[in-house]
Amino acid sequence: MAGIVISGASRSFGSVRAVDHVDLDVGEGEFFTLLGPSGCGKTTLLRMIAGFCELDAGEIRFGDRRIDQLPAHLRDIGMVFQNYAVFPNLTVAGNVAYGLRARQVPAAETAKRVEDALRLVQLGGLGERWPHQLSGGQLQRVAIARALVIRPQVLLFDEPLSNLDARLRVSMRGEIRELQKSLGITALYVTHDQEEAMSVSDRIALMNAGKLEQVGKPADIYRQPTSRFAAEFMGTANVFPAQALGLAAPVWVSLRPEALRFAEEAPAGWPRLTGTVSRIEMLGPLTRLDVVLANGTVLKMASLDQPHHVLAVTAVVSLAYDPARLVMLP
Amino acid sequence: MRVAIPQQQHLPAAIAALGLLFLAVFLLYPLLQVFGASLLNADGTSLTLANYVKILGRPFYRGAIVNTLSIGAAATLITTLLAVPMAFALVRLPVPGKAAILAVAALPLVLPSFVSAYAIVLLLGNGGIVTRWLHGIGLGFGSIYGARGIVLVYVLTLYPYVLLPTVAAFKAVDVSMEEAAQGLGSSPGRTVATVILPIVLPAILAGALLVFIETLENFGVPFVLAEDLPIFAVEAFKLFIGETAPNPASAGVLGVLLILTTALVLLVQRWFLNRRRFATNARQTPPILRIGRGLQIAATLYCWLIVLLALVPFFSIVVLSFLEFRGPVLHGNFSLANFEALFDKNMRPFANTLIFASLAALCVTVIGVPVGYVVTRWRSGVATLLDVVATLPFAVAGTVLAIGFVVSFNSGLLVLTGGPLILVLAYTVRKVPFAVRSASAIVHQIDVSLEEASVSLGRSPLQTFLRIVVPLMLGGIVSGVVLSWVTVASELSATVVLYSGQWRTLTVVMFQALEGGGAGIATAAASALIVVTLLPIALLFRLVRRYELG
Repeated sequence: MAGIVISGASRSFGSVRAVDHVDLDVGEGEFFTLLGPSGCGKTTLLRMIAGFCELDAGEIRFGDRRIDQLPAHLRDIGMVFQNYAVFPNLTVAGNVAYGLRARQVPAAETAKRVEDALRLVQLGGLGERWPHQLSGGQLQRVAIARALVIRPQVLLFDEPLSNLDARLRVSMRGEIRELQKSLGITALYVTHDQEEAMSVSDRIALMNAGKLEQVGKPADIYRQPTSRFAAEFMGTANVFPAQALGLAAPVWVSLRPEALRFAEEAPAGWPRLTGTVSRIEMLGPLTRLDVVLANGTVLKMASLDQPHHVLAVTAVVSLAYDPARLVMLP
Repeated sequence: MRVAIPQQQHLPAAIAALGLLFLAVFLLYPLLQVFGASLLNADGTSLTLANYVKILGRPFYRGAIVNTLSIGAAATLITTLLAVPMAFALVRLPVPGKAAILAVAALPLVLPSFVSAYAIVLLLGNGGIVTRWLHGIGLGFGSIYGARGIVLVYVLTLYPYVLLPTVAAFKAVDVSMEEAAQGLGSSPGRTVATVILPIVLPAILAGALLVFIETLENFGVPFVLAEDLPIFAVEAFKLFIGETAPNPASAGVLGVLLILTTALVLLVQRWFLNRRRFATNARQTPPILRIGRGLQIAATLYCWLIVLLALVPFFSIVVLSFLEFRGPVLHGNFSLANFEALFDKNMRPFANTLIFASLAALCVTVIGVPVGYVVTRWRSGVATLLDVVATLPFAVAGTVLAIGFVVSFNSGLLVLTGGPLILVLAYTVRKVPFAVRSASAIVHQIDVSLEEASVSLGRSPLQTFLRIVVPLMLGGIVSGVVLSWVTVASELSATVVLYSGQWRTLTVVMFQALEGGGAGIATAAASALIVVTLLPIALLFRLVRRYELG
């Protein structure tokens, strides 16, 4: 087991700089996520580590060992793919044993490790099944078992949950996180879903246009975004010039919807604002509102469902915001 | 500067290098020799166009060009006019027995067309059975020899080239397009003409051009039926084998002209199809149209008639092979004498056919599958080049390739003439494009991430190819082997140029019997060829059925 050290990694496709001078340090045993919109370079970076994409410049190490010039099959990596990539011509057990056979592990040990791995992903006893007999969630468990069983130095996940339905996605991400923590394997996870990233990660690297936008713990990036992109990509944010709140600083600020409250429910010290409700979206437990201030700025806010406090569009409301959660953006 | 091939491209690069090496030696070099022969003066010392001037100056050879092209055009036109309505009927009209019709309709593509031509001669030729019978009841018809007979056989044996892709295209038309057209006020007839036909047109044209190219390259059918009518491939053969004096220069000229014509047709096809690619994704097969009883009967008769007519020649030749011949004259008695004559003298031709077909099918697969994999998976200029070169044999008539082989390998470093290997190599080169195409189509269906998963689990790219890709391609590979096998077993045009002495095949026996008038042996050889072709196909069919049921 080892951490991942990426220094100066670059790769261009034609004139597009897919990965642009990326430096990254993933600690041993850490669950690290590359998050960003499609085309931001996160998958390219993952494929560089896996050995499916050449580097134009820079290097990648697992611990002290440089691996970016090793052929992919010698890198000792467990990889979980978006579309499962379970071999349809092998049984479940055959799939899980595949990497062990490649490493010429003795048959008896292989059988035992395969059984253990299948139990670990709650597929105990299904070893003789064929992939076409399994559901999407089960296939992804096979893929995870297959990647874990070789006890790789590093686990790579390439959007592993995006082919699953919403409920299964939520339960699977919890399982993946628990497995990784219990085994202590360094994991690098790629996703475009910020909620998923926040839920599983120790740290997140937010990527945009081939560069790292911000690296940090999920809560830190959410609460203290350092750029407009980070503020807007990590959940909903109101991003607008500070003057709109009557502040003098010539900067942009970010304010999360939940940092806004109706004036009557807010602590006394919070600055007050007045505006007109322009849109209401009732989502069940949560109601989202757009409020237009006198200067034209639209603020998104969210409040828990309050059956006794029903608002209508065009209603004039008084709001307050938490000054501690107003983030100045450079 | 150091030129480094990235790690993950070692395997494709190695395959591409081996593939290009093979094709350079056994395709490009022989073709170059044909070009060379056509462009050199008598001493072989300087380049000249004199050979072209000489050949094109003679009305006989100009006639050969005109005949070949006009016969090809006529056959293509008639084939298309027959096959497109049939395809429409099979997809959209209530015709009983569709699955059976489609299964049987593919047979003429694997059965040897010159056998069909020979059957036509035995049935409708000057002394043919049907001819004599018709004369007996006072009916006569013109001669079947020449253009009419050739076109007839081409239509009967090549129509599946148009039918099968057109059926697929009609099936792929999204019903909502028709509904949209009718919703906009278009009548059913107008909808077919303005919406459906334009969508299936690329498929029809692709099929029609295949027919045209096949007619240009075909040697056996005109050899049997042309009599005095000069035809490209036959005249090239005659010039090269030379009843008086072999003339590689003139044969080379005809060969080059033939290659250029086919290449031109292929380029026109590419150019045309690249500009019109309508992909419509049908979520379900279009519905069967409701039509009157009379029309339904007419459509059913039409489809069954074409399918069965195409097989009548093959069926008759099997029957005829069990009848007694005295010289070329047929007597009505049952007899095994033809087969005794065929096999008694010598089992060698039969054994040769089986051995060559097996070896060639093996070589075709060993070359075609990896090359098909590389041209699909590897994005690089080298892969594109490999794709083009591996498709090239398709544009080269068997006769011309064989002439190139003889010129190239009868002296020098690599002497192959007179042996069996030259036949196997020629067959391999001829069938490689089909193997590459079909392998590439299968690889397209295999998700790349399966290979990446295997590599990341510790298998090298080569092991991954053997353990994951090949098993997943296996069904397609087996079908490909069978198809190569049966088409090689009945290959005629390259064989007649390249065979020698003891290395005769069944097709050569039949060819020689035709020349020598041994009709009995010819029918027996033809029957044996039909069995050799149909048996593996039937076995494959059973295997596929069992696999699907299991």
